[in-house]
Amino acid sequence: MTTTKSTRKRWEGIGVNLAMLLVLVFAMVPIFTTVLISFKSEQDIIRKPPNIFPCDTPEGFKWSECRWSVEGYQRVLAPKPSETSPLGVAITGNIPRIYIPNSVLYATATSLLVVFLAGLSGYAFSRYRFRGHGLLMTGILAITGVPLLTNLLALYQMAATFRKADLPFYDDRLFIIAVYMGFYLPLSVWIAKGFFDAIPRELEEAALIDGCTPVGALLRVTMPLALPGLAAVFLLTFVSVWNEFIAGYLIIAKNQYKPVMFGLYDFLGQNIINLQVIAAACILIASPVVILFVFTRRSFFRAMVEGAVKG
Amino acid sequence: MTQSQSSYSPSKPHRKRDWLPFWLILPTVVVLLAIQVYPALYTVWLSVHERKPAGWTYVGVDNFRRLLNMGLFKESIGHTIIFLVGYASLTMLLGFIVAMLLNRKMRLSGFYVTLLFIPWIIADLLTGIVFRLLVFPDYGIFSGILQNPALFPPDGISILTAARPKPWFGDFPFPPSPAMIYLILASAWRALPFITLLLLASMQTIPQEVLESSRIDGANGWQIVRHIMIPLMLPTLVVALFSLTLSGMNGIGMVFSLTGGGPGTSTEVLSMLLYAIGWRQLYFGRAAALALLIAVINWLLITGTLRFTRLQERSIS
Repeated sequence: MTTTKSTRKRWEGIGVNLAMLLVLVFAMVPIFTTVLISFKSEQDIIRKPPNIFPCDTPEGFKWSECRWSVEGYQRVLAPKPSETSPLGVAITGNIPRIYIPNSVLYATATSLLVVFLAGLSGYAFSRYRFRGHGLLMTGILAITGVPLLTNLLALYQMAATFRKADLPFYDDRLFIIAVYMGFYLPLSVWIAKGFFDAIPRELEEAALIDGCTPVGALLRVTMPLALPGLAAVFLLTFVSVWNEFIAGYLIIAKNQYKPVMFGLYDFLGQNIINLQVIAAACILIASPVVILFVFTRRSFFRAMVEGAVKG
Repeated sequence: MTQSQSSYSPSKPHRKRDWLPFWLILPTVVVLLAIQVYPALYTVWLSVHERKPAGWTYVGVDNFRRLLNMGLFKESIGHTIIFLVGYASLTMLLGFIVAMLLNRKMRLSGFYVTLLFIPWIIADLLTGIVFRLLVFPDYGIFSGILQNPALFPPDGISILTAARPKPWFGDFPFPPSPAMIYLILASAWRALPFITLLLLASMQTIPQEVLESSRIDGANGWQIVRHIMIPLMLPTLVVALFSLTLSGMNGIGMVFSLTGGGPGTSTEVLSMLLYAIGWRQLYFGRAAALALLIAVINWLLITGTLRFTRLQERSIS
């Protein structure tokens, strides 16, 4: 009896592990093959039937004979010798030179603004009960459900109107940051409120009794404690803006201001057959957020569960 | 929303402190009014106007009528339904299974879980490109298998270009094209980590004693899932289903880069149709009418889900 039970348990354990392995394979195959493709040379890309590793020789498969190449990356970065740059080469590819800096700007600016505004209003919603509190919270929740897609036509028209008005300070970059802010703010307010709710009120009250002003208590006591939560909001917004395509593509008029996902889409059209170049561009563009995610995984999970349960 | 602020009670004793939340919330409300509320109203205005040589002119319900008479619109609804049903059911099923696997008290390294969750932060446009690379006609790594006429008869052409089979039920585009099935698979790949995480969080709130006592009472695995786990997790399951439906209906990046709506019109879902009418054919009014219809469907889904979860909460408590 006991032996059959333990063998059954063991088989079950093996089954579960196999299933987990299968899931991991499903999750990793597209990423792994893209990395492989990005390191192939053109002669190994255009062959039928396609092979997985570029390692076959007339004598058979040899690991030592693999023809790895960085041609794809070279064509994305397009390094050219230059006398002015300190390393002796200048990166001239459009993706690293124009589109990645644009997206870094949009994602950073949007995330900072979202964290600031969501922090303020999340705090107010968490700590104060005022007339219209519930209504306002529900209103923000309802807005969370409005997709970017259905507002896009109006936002496109608004951007066109602003451009035509020829305002001296106006630039599509300001408008797109405002658009991203408006779209990632509602969920962030809910997430921030959840994090503030978890901080005991007594701490602030103690600070108030000790003579702190309400704003002082907020800045000196509550904010430092809320920092991990606000960091989660920052990361979530950063990744969302980095990954956003359609709004940046349509709302911004000048190509030089468009974000990195447009750069990738544009690049796809130019290199339709050079799979290794496309794969290299994908790896270069995905790696910043993947690296960010690997190091801040816990923060992401907390924010997402918090946001999803509410939203 | 604004009304509730103006009627803010200034007559309370700590007058100075009472105004603080108003100032804290004001910037958020201003941004949301400008970027969310105003454009939504603007879309309503657009939907009853159309750009004519003389400028924007009022056309009433003409935009809606033209939209409903458009053959592609009806077909596109069919594609959207097939996509949503396939995407939501595949992701929910896989997500439930993976969550159950992760829920067992196994020692999983952080590395493993991190790898598992990477698809989640890959952009939808990028996911589409990656999946396109895999089956790229002739040169993609899987095209050797997928274009083998011995395995997938009859023609041996890429799944990205294979035509849609003859529909079984009149105009309804079923069975879907290979490209649509592949699009569903790619979308599920990207959504799986998030759904798994959501279901896992809910699964972990089920007390172990409940599961153990039912096991002692002789319930088998399927009975436990069917009669204990699913009822207890119902609110989360509904939230997950709802978020999948919303993201599936409003996401455009993956279709854009994976199939571009094709081959033919076989993956032309409503979001792609909106783009095509608005930015390729430049009928902004008609596209706004479609945006409004999509928004109404979204709104029905959201309120329906909220009502459903409230009912559930009430019946449980």
